[in-house]
Amino acid sequence: MLINYIKIAWKVLLRHPFYTFITLFGISLTLTVLMLLTAFIDHLIGTHYPETNRARTLYVERMVMSDPVAESMMSGPMSFKFLNDYAKTLRTAERATIFSYFNGSNAYVGSNKIKLNITFSDADFWRVNAFNFIEGKPFNEQNISNGDNVAVITDQFKKQYFPDSDQPVVGKNVEIENINYKVIGVVKGSPITRPFTHADIYFPYTAPKSNYQSDGMRGNFNAMILAKEEGDLRTVQSEFQSKIRKIPLPGKQGGFKYSVLEVRSDPYLENFIMMIMNGGPGLKNIFYGVIGFIMFMVMGLPAVNLVNLNVGRILERSSEIGVRKAFGAPVKTLMWQFIVENIFITFIGGSIALIFTIILIWMINKSGWIAYSDLTINFQVFSVSVVVCLIFGLLSGVLPALRMSKLSIIDALKS
Amino acid sequence: MIRQLFKLIWNKKQTHALLIIEIWASFLVLFGLASLIAYNVRNYIQPLGFEYENVWAISLNNNQDTLAVQEKVETIFKQIKDFPEVESLSRMSDSYPFSHSNNSRSVKYKNTSAQMLFVSADENLSKTIGIPLVEGKWYKNADSVGKYRPVVINKIAEKKLFENESAVGKILSDYDGKATWIISGVIDYYKDKAEFMENKPVMFELLKSADTWNKAMVIRVKPGTDAVFEAKLVKAITSVARGWSTEVVYLTDARQKQHDITLIPVLIFLVICSFLLINVALGLFGILNLNIARRRGEIGLRRAIGATEGMVTMHFLGEMWVLTTFSLILGLLLAVQFPILNVFNVATDIYAAAIFSATVIIYLIVTLCAWYPSRQASRIHPAVALHEE
Repeated sequence: MLINYIKIAWKVLLRHPFYTFITLFGISLTLTVLMLLTAFIDHLIGTHYPETNRARTLYVERMVMSDPVAESMMSGPMSFKFLNDYAKTLRTAERATIFSYFNGSNAYVGSNKIKLNITFSDADFWRVNAFNFIEGKPFNEQNISNGDNVAVITDQFKKQYFPDSDQPVVGKNVEIENINYKVIGVVKGSPITRPFTHADIYFPYTAPKSNYQSDGMRGNFNAMILAKEEGDLRTVQSEFQSKIRKIPLPGKQGGFKYSVLEVRSDPYLENFIMMIMNGGPGLKNIFYGVIGFIMFMVMGLPAVNLVNLNVGRILERSSEIGVRKAFGAPVKTLMWQFIVENIFITFIGGSIALIFTIILIWMINKSGWIAYSDLTINFQVFSVSVVVCLIFGLLSGVLPALRMSKLSIIDALKS
Repeated sequence: MIRQLFKLIWNKKQTHALLIIEIWASFLVLFGLASLIAYNVRNYIQPLGFEYENVWAISLNNNQDTLAVQEKVETIFKQIKDFPEVESLSRMSDSYPFSHSNNSRSVKYKNTSAQMLFVSADENLSKTIGIPLVEGKWYKNADSVGKYRPVVINKIAEKKLFENESAVGKILSDYDGKATWIISGVIDYYKDKAEFMENKPVMFELLKSADTWNKAMVIRVKPGTDAVFEAKLVKAITSVARGWSTEVVYLTDARQKQHDITLIPVLIFLVICSFLLINVALGLFGILNLNIARRRGEIGLRRAIGATEGMVTMHFLGEMWVLTTFSLILGLLLAVQFPILNVFNVATDIYAAAIFSATVIIYLIVTLCAWYPSRQASRIHPAVALHEE
């Protein structure tokens, strides 16, 4: 039976190539946009190299000091000392790492300038994140306590900085702002869309200019806390919060008085949303409003278009329906036929969209638009798209089919 | 004629409901796109107000070094000035042109207050990045001894605070009402976040040499100066101040970055919208084709009793126009809320331009899609059409 339906659908498709084109164009366009969107979102918030432990990691990114009476607020990253006292010492966590946000700098090779981002981190940074070492090894506690001027660089920076980049470079020097650092390892880089692990050069925090010595609670460091397993996140969070609550209030920081102190430790997604929301509730509403509107339009317009066209086209087939009804086919059977037909068309559109998406994603990854971008169509993205596909098929299939199969036999046969 | 068309459409409102929704939604999408483009185009055609070619920005950070910061900054400043490659330089706050850094202050004059972008800079800024003055003059470093700190504002700020009066020589007070600044000059434009930025009120304040917080610099170099000199520059800075961080940014690169921030979302939106509209146009074309095929009998009859080809074409085009007008009225009801409620703080004329262009484009698309099927309908021979019946 199903094969029969599909055969009929195939014939119907071939009868009017122009209408078929419109239908397939609509479906594949919408699905391509949706799949690209999900691929981007997955790229931003999914678990990917080198943050492969994202599922059991808490991010401590911002300290918010505020005084509700004076309506004043100050927020930003924390000092190394503060994180060392509060985040490193958690008993329920497996380990924690403290690192600075990346910072811009320049290096010069002959008459060329290389723009680069630098990060200062502790030795645990390399244990929390699964960086892939192409050469050498990460710096360890020994390097840090010696205050060695060592650096881990990315393969891309190696290619830019060293003239014959095929040779191993471990042990060679790189000069950044007049200071020489010995290269200790070369890693595959992390894209800029993962701001916690992105950099071109990683220094131990005891290297010059890291500002880890600052006392006080504010500074330029963040932390990642790795829980033993995913289920432990809540326990670690509550231990961290109970430590934060022990800080005496109200306090003073560099002339700024505060009576409320908040340091969140969130999983990546929540932290990401907090970052967006930081512009105040107004910005958040606008952000969601715009995203919602675009999604609605991207989904809604082609859907209305398809329904419209299907309603029109199904009338063409009224005689076929009349004959089938006259020979005793119930409404249910007819409806099923149209639904199957529509799902079939949607899946053809879906496969076209899949091919388009693969090509587009390949192009985006190749173009170097985002360095180290690794957009992929993974199983999640694909399954989301298949579900969307089905909803589409039903949306543009049920309505016209229902209308049509309710037509009385005489009306249907007359035309 | 039009009443007749309205009646015809009203009688088939259920069939036409989806079509109306489709045109309505396309109008809203177009309206959004047109507002975005109109906003950016209007900003773009306003002058930038300064020159950025061959200008570099240097930002310094003293890190843990707190010894004699002011002296070191002054030494660095002097050393850079002595390089033959440097034509002019100016010390300023971190919010140098095209930077991502922002600083704003609330400023009062009598009872009017305005939110101003706030930039600290020394006497050389107008020369270094070429900001022409419209009124008064740019302040001098020597002016810092006076009771009030000298500032330069732009025209839009002058208009906001003083309406039609001249601003030069007037005293401005800060948020708490304390008289703080004296205006020494007025400039025309200063869009420091590149061409696509809206023209906003700006205030430049004289930077005091003792202000160690603000130690960024902009330098104008001779044309053709390259990274070899830049490396020399960084070496000179770090040899004066060990342990300081230095970053050199070319303003041309920083400008490109600001452009990307604006243009990439617009481009993505534009591509998605054009695909949506192509989709809608194809759909409309298909539906009209189907509708007309179904109304062959009616067309044949009209032709038989004397309607010309042109009249039949006009009839179908007219039907589509009336339908479009229907949906546009619905769309306009929604679109005019944006200027009325002042959503996103965008000027009314931008919304007006957007509504106008979106309306024109919708009519154009509908006409284009309806033209071919209508022509086809008019060519139906009455004898053939009536014979089928």
